[in-house]
Amino acid sequence: MHRSLLTRPTVSLLLGVSIVPTTAGLIAALWFGLDAGALARVIATPGIGLSIGSSLWTGCIATAVALLLAHLAVGLAASGNWRRRLNSLVLPLLAMPHLAIGIGLALVLAPSGVLLRLLSPWATGFELPPDWLIVNDTGGISLIAGLVLKETCFLVIALAAALAQVPAEKLQAQSATLGYGPLKGWLAAIAPALQQQIRLPLAAVLVFGITNVEMAIPLGPGLPPTFSVLLWRWFTDPDPAIHAQAYAGTLVLLVFSVAAIAVAGGLGRLGRKCLIASAQSGQRRAAETAVRRAFGGFLIVGWALGALSIIAIGLRAIAGPWRFPTLLPTSRSFTTLQDIASLTAGVGATTLALAGATALVGIALVLPAAEHCRQSVTARRQVGAWLFLPLLVPQMTFLFGVQVLLVRLDIDGTFVAVLWSHLIFALPYLWGILAPARAAIDPRYEQVAATLGVTRSVTWLTVTAPLLARSMLLALALAFSVSVALYLPTLFAGAGRVATAATEAAAAAGSGNLRLAAAHAILLAVIPLAAFAAAFTGGAALFRQRRGVPR
Amino acid sequence: MNALVLEQVTLRISDSALFAPLNLRVEPGAVTSVVGPSGSGKSSLLKFLCGILPPDIDAAGKVRMGEEDLSALPPQSRRLGLLFQDPLLFPHLDVAGNVLFGMRAGGARRERQQRAADALTSVGLEGLGRRDPATLSGGQQARVALLRVLLAEPRALLLDEPFRSLDDDNRERVRELVFAQARRRGLPTLLVTHDQSDVDAAGGPVVELQASA
Repeated sequence: MHRSLLTRPTVSLLLGVSIVPTTAGLIAALWFGLDAGALARVIATPGIGLSIGSSLWTGCIATAVALLLAHLAVGLAASGNWRRRLNSLVLPLLAMPHLAIGIGLALVLAPSGVLLRLLSPWATGFELPPDWLIVNDTGGISLIAGLVLKETCFLVIALAAALAQVPAEKLQAQSATLGYGPLKGWLAAIAPALQQQIRLPLAAVLVFGITNVEMAIPLGPGLPPTFSVLLWRWFTDPDPAIHAQAYAGTLVLLVFSVAAIAVAGGLGRLGRKCLIASAQSGQRRAAETAVRRAFGGFLIVGWALGALSIIAIGLRAIAGPWRFPTLLPTSRSFTTLQDIASLTAGVGATTLALAGATALVGIALVLPAAEHCRQSVTARRQVGAWLFLPLLVPQMTFLFGVQVLLVRLDIDGTFVAVLWSHLIFALPYLWGILAPARAAIDPRYEQVAATLGVTRSVTWLTVTAPLLARSMLLALALAFSVSVALYLPTLFAGAGRVATAATEAAAAAGSGNLRLAAAHAILLAVIPLAAFAAAFTGGAALFRQRRGVPR
Repeated sequence: MNALVLEQVTLRISDSALFAPLNLRVEPGAVTSVVGPSGSGKSSLLKFLCGILPPDIDAAGKVRMGEEDLSALPPQSRRLGLLFQDPLLFPHLDVAGNVLFGMRAGGARRERQQRAADALTSVGLEGLGRRDPATLSGGQQARVALLRVLLAEPRALLLDEPFRSLDDDNRERVRELVFAQARRRGLPTLLVTHDQSDVDAAGGPVVELQASA
């Protein structure tokens, strides 16, 4: 039954939009990247081992820590009846692009950053910024911190979605009456049941952690940089001879990512075994208060850091010269809003146009397919998994293949090419929201309409669409913020000629100009936040008098 | 064994009381039945006793185990065993794993497994330890859930219509098993039901929850 669903025109169109360019890009990447000479030059690059090592180290540690924190956050929130509040705490940070959080965190943690300004000179005695290597440290700690901050939020949402499939509240009540505290109850009774469901998002987090440049540029180690940043420098090098090296390098990146996924899969099975063994040991720890407090404190510090980075972006963007221990820039030196506006207006317009087009085209592609898959959970899962696959491949690897193909087709650097690349990354999230929401609508509403003599299309417009309206608003906002955040797809499909807030911010951060980076990062931060705020206020205003309309 | 004592217990949803203030003493080894129409707050009463009441219900009153006041304790420290309407076996653990989850800590792994196997045998589930709980019949699942609760060594047993989803045949057998275990262990037992045959089989005092005037 579901096999035939996948071949429905609407569903295969949706899948094709995502899979055809990804596959073609991967094949092209293999074709052009498999060059023994270039590979030899990649391997002979001084410091290459350290680069690859720090990519793997930062990506793997950040993923592990984020997974642990996300489980703790959701587990503790579930027992404390504040799961809804957790979601609203997490969403603003989730909506924030990696690049913006990365730039913001660099502004907070740097020796002359907001954090030390808060403590200086009264607590630290510093009148001058200390000579510390906090940001861009060789150990990659600040990069790990940034990744953990973002990916914990992502995994919290993934866990919350997976929770819908498990009678978690009842299971947790059951383990509480058996004498287990909320933490152990969660880890032993619920976490193992969720692991299977979040393995795709988890793999995506791992691959992103290892291969990202968005956070590694502002926060990652400098000498040598992470492997992905090294490749990014090669790609953006004016000397075309270096490009072959970058092509070959993306394949090395692919190999390491696949290996990391395989190892993580093994570790996941091991972890599951440990959790199950601990579930059967009967050990109870009634007093978890100390542990809970410690993790609660940890989560609050993390959230405060995130909030502080957003504030720091705003301050840095408007501040002129900003002498060290003063917390706020003096008003004399403010850059006027006009300056920022004139600097970012054109870029902002392109960013908005791309985001809007991505959201609208994406929803137009997803809705008809969701319509066809509404009765089959299996089909919805399969489509979801297919759409998710591009997130499991290092962006650089297939994007460079896509770019080569676009050049051959002579459509590189066009709006449509960039839009298409953004769709690839927005579709899995749109599907994740809209397909279940469509399926959750009681089919009897439409049957009632049909028995009243209303045609199917009118029924869709007058019954189904209004019931989906809130989910559509959320989906719009999500697609919007995904598109705004995309850096590498814009860079590659745009052939460097399409300038968005992300490309400008990354370029500025890459050249060390944090002030210019902050000016663009404001756009990166404000657009998604505004989109989500609009979606929520809009969603709350819709059908305010109707309690039965799904939220 | 101590009696489970309820003093002036009331539950309110948005300021309307579900039932008149309840005073109740559940004696060890006796099965006290609580009956009342659906929506009268029977299940919520048990959740209140366990400390797992959802936040939209306000509760007042005292719960004591002998002289010990339970009201201020977190759910995991109260040691009241609750059997839910559904068996709620953990889907990622096998049958023995579910039993072991309930069993108090202590003893070597091998020893614990032997105890779990013996317990399964004692309720007629010999050799089913490695099975996926989802492959068991309703009656078998109910028995596993009972073992899980009993091996946690509760001080009282709370039954939230645990026989409801069973067919007549299983219903009687599981019910007899549960009551027999409760009596043998001298557990104060509180049964919530709206089935008269449950009340008759329990044979203990009956409390009817009445809407407060």
